[in-house]
Amino acid sequence: MNRRSDIWLAYFMILPVVAAVLAFVIGPTWDVITLSLTQFVMGQARGFGTLVNFKALLADPVFPVVLKNTAIWILGGTVACVLTGLCVGLFLAIDSKLTGALRALILLPWVLPDVVTAMAWKWMLHGQVGIIGDSFSRMGVTDGPISFLGNPDMVMWILVLILVWRKMPLVALILCAAIRAVPAEQIEASRMDGANAFHRLRYVILPNIAFSLTAVTVISMIWITAEFTLPWVTTGGGPANASQIMATYIYQQSFQFFNWGVGSAMSVVNLVFLMLVVGLYLYINRRSWAAGGNA
Amino acid sequence: MGSVSLSNIRKSYGAVEVLHGINLDVADGEFTVLVGPSGCGKSTLLRSLAGLETISSGEITIDGKVVNKLHPKHRDIAMVFQNYALYPHMNVAENMGFSLKLAKVPRAEIEAKVRKAAEILDLTEMLGRKPAQLSGGQRQRVAMGRAIVRNPAVFLFDEPLSNLDAKLRVQMRSEIKELHQRLGTTIVYVTHDQIEAMTMADRIVVMKAGHVEQIGAPLELYDNPANVFVAGFIGSPAMNFLHATAKGGQCVLADGTALGPLPVPVAEGRSFTLGIRPEHFIIDQAAAPALVSLVEPTGAEIQFTAHLGGASVLVTTRDRITARVGDPIGLRVEPGRMHAFDAKTGQRIEG
Repeated sequence: MNRRSDIWLAYFMILPVVAAVLAFVIGPTWDVITLSLTQFVMGQARGFGTLVNFKALLADPVFPVVLKNTAIWILGGTVACVLTGLCVGLFLAIDSKLTGALRALILLPWVLPDVVTAMAWKWMLHGQVGIIGDSFSRMGVTDGPISFLGNPDMVMWILVLILVWRKMPLVALILCAAIRAVPAEQIEASRMDGANAFHRLRYVILPNIAFSLTAVTVISMIWITAEFTLPWVTTGGGPANASQIMATYIYQQSFQFFNWGVGSAMSVVNLVFLMLVVGLYLYINRRSWAAGGNA
Repeated sequence: MGSVSLSNIRKSYGAVEVLHGINLDVADGEFTVLVGPSGCGKSTLLRSLAGLETISSGEITIDGKVVNKLHPKHRDIAMVFQNYALYPHMNVAENMGFSLKLAKVPRAEIEAKVRKAAEILDLTEMLGRKPAQLSGGQRQRVAMGRAIVRNPAVFLFDEPLSNLDAKLRVQMRSEIKELHQRLGTTIVYVTHDQIEAMTMADRIVVMKAGHVEQIGAPLELYDNPANVFVAGFIGSPAMNFLHATAKGGQCVLADGTALGPLPVPVAEGRSFTLGIRPEHFIIDQAAAPALVSLVEPTGAEIQFTAHLGGASVLVTTRDRITARVGDPIGLRVEPGRMHAFDAKTGQRIEG
């Protein structure tokens, strides 16, 4: 074996992965980009190399609403998931029989299919027959049942709540594992130094789990950006586009209204956003590695 | 001022009792070392004193004040951990000043105290560095600095040198001892290394399986061990133990060899455990016959392993003896250097 044939062997060995990436990632992405630059009339391609789809998107009165809803969905969802996940993770990190059992049980929402989750919440939150609205009015919290998903001012936030219920457990488990990996001696040293529970969290635990915390934040952001089934099955973007987000609007434009051009233009916008998030993640990762995991 | 008093300390994990009623008094300014094999309860005792563990019963007093129920931060103590337990995201100065920062001490005062401690420990150049950029010995000094800055009544050390290499350990040993002489603060120090205990302590507490075996000054333990365990644990190379019987005022070994007069009166015909330190043998061709089975020169002295009276004994000598493996030599014991222990209980037989 000489060096040259080693190189060919190496290329041969990574060929399947390269082929798969080309076929399933690069190919469709290329298609979407070309589609977004192609004008469609009645589902027929009418000329390539135009920005007409992007112009149509900007002129669409629903698009600003979609952007605002997507911001609530992605930013609100990420912040809520990570904050509640951190609180639950801190609780689960305590050593006891109860938390040991809860650590296993908490994954239940995470293993349910999206559609089951969405349908269950949809019925529980239903304006007339939902158990939640009914309980509230029976307890006298509200005068009558509230239509949680029918109220345009409320629906986006309710969706975020469902999202937290579904995505938070894994965040909590990851952070719980990170918190449990904080050296016990550092915690003890800080107790000797006079730190109370808040000081221990602020000065010892958070700096030690900073790496996991940023990673889990960015990953949650990517998950939530890519999440489609949950909002689509729960509200279908309604009422009157009040819960329309990028993912659902792209689906609606492309596969219900067959506006391929506008749909793919939006996909490109979405892709650019995701690439920025991933880029940020890689940047933080690299920097932490360079600092020996101590950054 | 920092006197410590432990009275009848018991600690159980469930049904398992690990400390069986420990009594100990540490005078102000004293350097006390708790020493014993792994699992003897010495670290548990120290952690109970620190307030990191709760005790099942007994009373801990620091400077005349019962601290059983007090949080660690209210006990006026500082602790140096085995793995240093430095905060990796803070630099040396921040690590050392952390307790003062939590106590809301003014920034200028923190800086002055940290600078002073850094000077004592020769860390002035390192104040801006992170722990990951320091060597093991430097990290150890930062951990001590963190304790010094607080000016506590008592310092606690939990096996602080066990993560260092042999050379650095010897150096840090003298540094800690010098530090103690300089600051004069009470120190309670835990180690499994009897040499550390011997070299550093004013007083040693030898522990085994949750009991205190003996308390005393280093040389007192070395010269008058209370039982076989202390005799074997303190001193390196370890004391030789031989089965002997009292016959006509002589120590008679298993094969009938008479090794010399009894160190203490023992009833005629009673068998006991005879303890002899390796350096207390004298090589004398006219004395009890032995066969050399191993020769190990260390430079300062020569260690012989020899068969004596049916047992194997270790002999060290500073003389340049040229005996080789298989050579016969004669052995006797320096007068007054034999120890007699009860064969069953292992307790010292008193005269």
